[in-house]
Amino acid sequence: MEVLRIEGLSKVFGSGRLEVRALEDINLTVSAGDLVALLGPSGSGKTTMLLCASLILDPTAGKIIFDGQTIFQKNGWSGGVDIRRIRREKMGFIFQAHNLIPFLTARQNVLFPLSLVGLKGDASQRRVMELLGYMEIADRADYLPALLSGGEQQRVAIARALANNPRLILADEPTASLDTVRGKKVMELLKKIAKENQSAVIVVTHDVRMIEGFDYVYHLKDGHLHHQVN
Amino acid sequence: MDLAVYDLKLHKGRFIATIIGVGLLFTIVLAMNGLYRGNIYEGLAVIKATNPDLWVVERYRGGPFNEQSTLAEDYHHSVKAVPGVEKACPFIYYTVERLIGDQSRHFSIIGYDVFTGLGGPQRLISGRGLRQGHYEMVADQKLGVHLGDQVTLGLHHYTVVGLTRGAIDTNGDPLVFLSLPDAQEVAFQKDNEEVRTQRVRLARTLNGQKALTPAATANLAAALAPDTHLINAVLVHLKPGANQAAVAHNIRTWLYLSVYTTDEEVKLMLKGRLAGMTKQLFLFRTLLMIVSVVIISLVIYTFTMEKIRAIAVMKLIGAPNRVIVRLVLEQSMLLTISAFLFALGLINQTYSYFPKTILLVPGDEVITFIVVFFGGILASILGLLQALKTQPALALGGQ
Repeated sequence: MEVLRIEGLSKVFGSGRLEVRALEDINLTVSAGDLVALLGPSGSGKTTMLLCASLILDPTAGKIIFDGQTIFQKNGWSGGVDIRRIRREKMGFIFQAHNLIPFLTARQNVLFPLSLVGLKGDASQRRVMELLGYMEIADRADYLPALLSGGEQQRVAIARALANNPRLILADEPTASLDTVRGKKVMELLKKIAKENQSAVIVVTHDVRMIEGFDYVYHLKDGHLHHQVN
Repeated sequence: MDLAVYDLKLHKGRFIATIIGVGLLFTIVLAMNGLYRGNIYEGLAVIKATNPDLWVVERYRGGPFNEQSTLAEDYHHSVKAVPGVEKACPFIYYTVERLIGDQSRHFSIIGYDVFTGLGGPQRLISGRGLRQGHYEMVADQKLGVHLGDQVTLGLHHYTVVGLTRGAIDTNGDPLVFLSLPDAQEVAFQKDNEEVRTQRVRLARTLNGQKALTPAATANLAAALAPDTHLINAVLVHLKPGANQAAVAHNIRTWLYLSVYTTDEEVKLMLKGRLAGMTKQLFLFRTLLMIVSVVIISLVIYTFTMEKIRAIAVMKLIGAPNRVIVRLVLEQSMLLTISAFLFALGLINQTYSYFPKTILLVPGDEVITFIVVFFGGILASILGLLQALKTQPALALGGQ
């Protein structure tokens, strides 16, 4: 089942002599359970593509269909969709720097997206502990992020991204701040999530060692999607 | 999920320090309020405590408190003769700086007719009022004397027979009540050496008059000694049913004196002596309020900027604006309310230690709270705008 379709997506920053064409005519389709890697060197437009796909940045041109609904079309038309609502209900984000909310404990960080969709009480607490248990970090549930190691923080971040059973998980360099062993563990976890939860997962990385077992690998260079490897 | 409280828990040391800082500022605002009220209270205390039906003073003068008014003591007999007047009592009021024990103290003396009682002490907390025509005094406890103490004023010793509370002059200094002749003596009686010097000076002037013999000159110099039978005002108590305006009119036209009711005395004081200081204190109050709001604004802005990345993450995850607004506003309100409560507690514990009267009025505290509360909300707008315009992309490296 198709989760995300991107057609003719372009993103241009600035204008005139300062114009930078970050993305050019990008086409991509991702289905439920797909594990997609976006490779490319720094400045190739990987993060920009992730931001445009989730409408954190408005694309300059193209069309984006998410979960059967057109959320963006050329000239900024988005069909009146509440993109923040889509993000909190159907998308999960994992960042290179973990980006946990520093004043919330691990438990509260995972609870936060649940509270945004109105899940409260015992049900939400059970869900949080289930996810932290799944990430093997339940014993650190009441620790603040500053007291967790990098790997532990990343696992909490993944638990947070999974909290609302998202249709699409967008991960930006999730292993960049981890050593190889921990990085591979995180990637294994994402594979497991894609298959078990039938979530579409797009991972941005520049480390080819981390993409073993991915369904699709795209290579982004100078804003163009050059290669596609099955 | 109360994000504001979680954030403050993490930074509780800094938050408490900020509460204390802003709270001290609010304490000054409340103290200024109290000083403003206290200034009016002190200014009007003597007038309200004395509270006769009419104040009779020297013609064209705004006395006895706003301006010096001097009348011959005998005038009270003339005033007493006006129809409608039940009592007419001589009254003298002046400020002195004298040694009480071994300390120089600033206070005011009221001299009144002990036997009619008008103008005498009102709030006795111990002892009794004056009963004798001489050498007794009633003092406010603020003067630091005790019952039975002997206080030397001028040439004589006075025994403290009563103590009052809250009997203060227009500057907030304690009042001392003496019988009229004692008060006149303390006010006008010269030192013996000074009397002799004045007589010699007068005799020297009179010596030039060929019509006077040396013996007549000496007698005349002694007879022309300065008059001490002076008063500042006559306090009038009207007969039941007497027309206050008519009596006042008669005193003005028949005796060529100025007459004020107690309400008019209050207005004179508010528009005259108290006006400048009252405006000044009001201005300080307003400035302090503005400074408080600016400081809260900067504190909230700093708090917001410190978690701007966390706010970007929240937006990226899909948090609606109301979650962000609540986070910023709640912190602002918590800071404002906590600082105000701290200030309220502090000023209520310390107001009695201020040298000037700090009069705390619940109405003022409520109004101040409303102003700082909405000021706090207004102050958070700067931080709020910053939070709302934060792009979620900032969480991913600041696109």
